[in-house]
Amino acid sequence: MSSVKRIRLFITPYLGLIAAALAVAAVPLVTPDRYVLKVLVYVGVNVIVIAGLALLFGHAGQISMGHAAFVGIGAYTSAYLVKTLDAPWLVGVLAATVLAAAGGLVLALPALRLRGHYLAMATLGFSEIMYVVFREARAITGGNDGLGGIPYPEVAGLKIDTPVGVYLLVWGVALLTLLLVLNILRSRPGRAMRALQATENGALACGIDTVGLKIRTFALSAALAGLAGALYAHGVGFISPSTFGLDQSVIYMAIVVVGGAGSLAGPTLAAVVLTLLPYADALVPGLSKDTIAVMQDWEADIYGLAMIAVVIFAPAGIGGLLKRIRLRGAGEVRS
Amino acid sequence: MGADLRIAGLHVGYGRIGVVTDVDLHVDPGEMVALIGSNGAGKSTLLKAVAGLLKPSAGTIALGERDITGMPPEKIVRQGLALVPEGRMLFGPLTVDENLAIGAHTRPARDEGVASDRARVQALFPVLAERHTQPAETLSGGEQQMLAVGRALMCRPQVLVLDEPSLGLAPRVIAAIFEVLDTLRAEGMSILLVEQDARLALKHADRGYVMRSGEIALEGPAHELANDEQVRHAYLGGRPETRE
Repeated sequence: MSSVKRIRLFITPYLGLIAAALAVAAVPLVTPDRYVLKVLVYVGVNVIVIAGLALLFGHAGQISMGHAAFVGIGAYTSAYLVKTLDAPWLVGVLAATVLAAAGGLVLALPALRLRGHYLAMATLGFSEIMYVVFREARAITGGNDGLGGIPYPEVAGLKIDTPVGVYLLVWGVALLTLLLVLNILRSRPGRAMRALQATENGALACGIDTVGLKIRTFALSAALAGLAGALYAHGVGFISPSTFGLDQSVIYMAIVVVGGAGSLAGPTLAAVVLTLLPYADALVPGLSKDTIAVMQDWEADIYGLAMIAVVIFAPAGIGGLLKRIRLRGAGEVRS
Repeated sequence: MGADLRIAGLHVGYGRIGVVTDVDLHVDPGEMVALIGSNGAGKSTLLKAVAGLLKPSAGTIALGERDITGMPPEKIVRQGLALVPEGRMLFGPLTVDENLAIGAHTRPARDEGVASDRARVQALFPVLAERHTQPAETLSGGEQQMLAVGRALMCRPQVLVLDEPSLGLAPRVIAAIFEVLDTLRAEGMSILLVEQDARLALKHADRGYVMRSGEIALEGPAHELANDEQVRHAYLGGRPETRE
């Protein structure tokens, strides 16, 4: 591979990020529609969660069946602090992120010292436990009725209470998150993660602290989920336990699988497309209510089918297809 | 330069089952030592304990002045002991260069010696320079073994430990790899070599240990072991040893 081609492969992800930033900025100019922006806020929140999960599962090879619970921890923490205790918004978001990371550490420390699928089992149990907590800790979470009237984000006295403002805030954070994950992947920890995924014994033989790497990655990805949850709570204004259940955790994993392990662009695209799917009426005018209702009812089945299709026809997911196109663009195709 | 590796009274096992019992073994600085024995004699278990992948139940392992008994593997690499694991354990989808870079993981990012060490590895195994952007999994078995040795050298070890480096390789490739091991030893590196091919191992090593049922059954200078009646019968196919 010539150095020119290698440089092209190197900068492509950053160009993609810049293109995404331009697209994000263009949306409010094209449509100031409230509903569209609200749906896109939800998409942006999912992009943040998926960026962290793509790092954890797609690169470090660790399965989490409990990421929705971390999103929930973030959402309830910030909502409670800001709404009930009148804490500043930034403090709420920061606490949400830190608490989710701490939850991730508590879970990962014992589970990741053991090899095998203990983390998957532990996160599965964690997800169920947290679901019960969200429902039953009524004084904080409002129980099954949910928690409403969560204040809008407010930074340095500036209240972000317009749909466009909230949209830009969430997507600004989402783009920064993607940049952060991209930089991690391109530095030593990212390389160590790929080594770990290829062979843990080989990674150990090279002096990589594999347990520490897995635990740190898990904590970071839990922190990003918590951050996303806080943004969601203040952006949408209402949260309830059903948003943070096990089915949502499974959907997150499905998005990463469809997007492609070992890729960041793939899962990001998958997050956008699959999150939009049940809300296609926001983008495609004239789509009948019945069609949308059917799509929302069959959401889980559509994800399931997409996952099966990926496993059969494109095991490397959307990311694998993107890479093939990129290599072809750089004049190099590997079978 | 090489340091010495000293193992004393080592017991290692899986659960309650002892696999290695009361082993004493040492590699002096700049010495190549062969550890031979049949399948299941406990050679690989012993190496795993040395590399930190298994915790010994008793005994000590010292590298130079430092006691490394029970240290986690990543710390042991930092102390200067590198393992070329059985089955190579390369990072298949990553390129040859990336595999070498990860070999230097324990060194600071801006260590300028890394580039010169890579050039040195490429000089020892020119094929690694030719195929530097190729994914490791696309290399032949022999090239992969060369990469595994090269990757281990990237952490600048004082003691190099190899587990079955000749396994499944063509004689010409084996000769090339052992020529490099001879070179490294001549430069002062300490080498502990576990081999099923006892003839090959004893031909290159200074001293040897024969392991049987988890214990050291015999030890001595390599040429003496190669001519030992028992060793010849059990591990060298019974034929008289002819030395070129």
